[in-house]
Amino acid sequence: MALIDCKNVSLGYENRIVAQDLTFQVNKGDLLCIVGENGSGKSTLIKAILGLKETESGHLHYGDGLTAKQVGYLPQQTTAQRDFPASVFEVVLSGCLSSKGHSLFYSKQLRQKARDNLEKLDMLAFQNHCYRELSGGQQQRVLLARALCATGTLLLLDEPVSGLDPLATAEFYKLIRRINRDYGITIIMVSHDLQDALSLATHILHMKGDGAFFGTKKAYLESGVYRAFTGGESHA
Amino acid sequence: MPETLSFLFSHGFMLRALAVGSLISLCCALLGVSLVLKRFSMIGDGLSHVGFGALAIACAANIAPLYFSIPIVILAAFALLAMNEKGFLKGDAAIALISTGALAVGVMVTSMTTGMNVDIYNYMFGSILAMSRADVVLSVVLSVAVIALFFVFYDEIFAVTFDESFAKATGTRVSAYNMLLAALTAVTIVVGMRMMGALLISSLIIFPTVTAMRVCKSFRKVIAMSVAVSLVCFFTGLLVSVRFEAPTGASVVCVNIVLLLFFALFGAVLRCSEKNRLYRFKKPLCVLLALLLLCALALPFFGSTGRPANEKPQVVATGFAPYDFARQIALDNADVTMLLKPGEESHTFEPTPQDIDAIGRCDVFVYGGGESDTWVDGILSSIDRSKTQIVRMMDCVALREEQLLDGMQSEAEEEAEETEYDEHVWTSVPNAMKIAAAVCDALCEEDRANENNYRANNDAYQTKLQQLDAAFRALADEKQGQSFLVGDRFPFLYFAKEYGLTFYAAFPGCAAETEANPATIGYLIEKAKAEGIRTVFKVDLSPGNVAETIAEGCGAGVQTLWSCHVIASEDFQNGETYLSLMRRNLDALTNA
Repeated sequence: MALIDCKNVSLGYENRIVAQDLTFQVNKGDLLCIVGENGSGKSTLIKAILGLKETESGHLHYGDGLTAKQVGYLPQQTTAQRDFPASVFEVVLSGCLSSKGHSLFYSKQLRQKARDNLEKLDMLAFQNHCYRELSGGQQQRVLLARALCATGTLLLLDEPVSGLDPLATAEFYKLIRRINRDYGITIIMVSHDLQDALSLATHILHMKGDGAFFGTKKAYLESGVYRAFTGGESHA
Repeated sequence: MPETLSFLFSHGFMLRALAVGSLISLCCALLGVSLVLKRFSMIGDGLSHVGFGALAIACAANIAPLYFSIPIVILAAFALLAMNEKGFLKGDAAIALISTGALAVGVMVTSMTTGMNVDIYNYMFGSILAMSRADVVLSVVLSVAVIALFFVFYDEIFAVTFDESFAKATGTRVSAYNMLLAALTAVTIVVGMRMMGALLISSLIIFPTVTAMRVCKSFRKVIAMSVAVSLVCFFTGLLVSVRFEAPTGASVVCVNIVLLLFFALFGAVLRCSEKNRLYRFKKPLCVLLALLLLCALALPFFGSTGRPANEKPQVVATGFAPYDFARQIALDNADVTMLLKPGEESHTFEPTPQDIDAIGRCDVFVYGGGESDTWVDGILSSIDRSKTQIVRMMDCVALREEQLLDGMQSEAEEEAEETEYDEHVWTSVPNAMKIAAAVCDALCEEDRANENNYRANNDAYQTKLQQLDAAFRALADEKQGQSFLVGDRFPFLYFAKEYGLTFYAAFPGCAAETEANPATIGYLIEKAKAEGIRTVFKVDLSPGNVAETIAEGCGAGVQTLWSCHVIASEDFQNGETYLSLMRRNLDALTNA
């Protein structure tokens, strides 16, 4: 059974339907990239998957024993966050909040989990640094570590590389690939860069107002949607 | 230093202010960390304005201010949150709308009912005397709630503050925490604003966090540092306010500014030395800055605040008239202090902690007992009556109700249940004689050794007053049937009744408002024309624009009358007295 099963879903934003008739599945181990123009409802879809937003119609289900608390999320950064006075460790630890339960403090295991995830992303050396003094790429890795603390199954990334320089972007994509392949974590990523999406994804969801394309990367490259979007040029 | 401190702890009202102030500072610092970092710090400012509006309404409707404003401000906080979440209006615009709206409503309600009186002035700028037992209890409960919240839900608060959308996605009930924080902020503001002032309370929420952020690199440290900063600033501010007789709220904010500058400098030094790897300069520089900061904070401790101990009996009088009576009777045998400084606005007067201390220590205290002296009731209980003789001027004479003269603009038409007695009793010379005699008795009681001197001085003074009285009676005979027009507040009710003189006036004696409406002015102009009035009077120290408008309208001249309530600085320096000022009134009326 699929981790996420989405059937004929319509999404609205401020009383306006932005996306209609979305149908797709996400299976374990997939790396789904969601592409499409600004305002096509990419972020709204992410919010709907997270349960932060009601769908207008259709069915959106978790499967395979996945619950809302097991989803890791990397939201777009706000300006307030960039100069937030918190240590890296505090930020990453906050990803464990949903597994903390009713105890007053984080357990030893959870603190170790936070350190492990920092280690995975080569950020352990920075655990006592101040979050606001890190570079954009480092901040993004810290947030990724936090998202990993919240999940072992599914990660949702909302435009994770916006504002990063090319070098940091390349490194960040390397990490995402590693998380997907080495740790077997399913990833759904919103991207505004089609080429990047194509280099990473196993599946593509291309959103546009009146319908959407969903399929494997191969199927997408051969589809009319892709050709129309790239202005008729065929892609090697 | 010991004197400042012992003074702080020797009065009930100061202890209450200390307790409420430190608890509120603590709550503000904790809540402020979350609000500031969420970019929602202006909610404090918005809510304090709503609090002002609610207090104004409570004041007008005679409801207990706390029980009325707390629910209103909490509702406003929820409304702000809802507006922000629903995207109906974003943060800053929503807050500006609500805060200016509430301020306008408050001012409207106030101007239609009581006028800008002492209470309203205190709500705007704060009063250290405003704290009651209920405030102490409430602030204890509040701070227990806030501390418990931060202790039990520390991790949740961090998550919600750092990243709302992530917290929401991982199953934290973000809006519940937001509402809890907003509700606690609302209560904190309502309790704190009467001490700090509605216009200043939000600084307690914002400053400590911003200051702590300059140097702290983790959330936990920011919280701890912000609490420490907030408490240090409050205590120092309170000492500054006691030491320099300044309002508490403004003093605390000024100390906060100093601390913020120091911390910004600290932060810059730390960053600079890290960047340039000048680690060996870091320590000495920080030590130097810390020393400077300590010196700055210790400043208010130096020097004494107590008045010099003196063998002579101490007399404290509120206004100029009682001050002058006591001065004439005491001459060199006692020290007389006047609380209303020359040129000060009497109707919004509030004593400083020093004033209250002086009243507590003095041997004779003379006050009016009317509307402008309501603050006295609050501190009478802390005066030891076995040591201090109290003379209430309104007890010395037959009282007259404050009345609306023909054409006078009233303040609150419906509020007829409470009879208000005019407090300017000394404007009638026979009353002045009675008050002077009472002051003389009180002085004799306190200082038996000089009894003969006081009696002799009093007799001499009474003779002069009798001459003045005779002069006014002669004037009254001469001016029989003539009317006088005062285009101003009318503090001369006792005077007019005593001598049977007819007056028209624009406002009652204690009217807080002196903006006449056009109908009043028009009516008075017609009166003046009909009766051929050639002189319109204004009262000493008033701007006189109403009198000038009327004078212009009827082609008359403007002359001044002296109320002897508060004296102008110039007159005070020239050694004018009650007698000399009343003589001026005599001349002015004679020439009218």
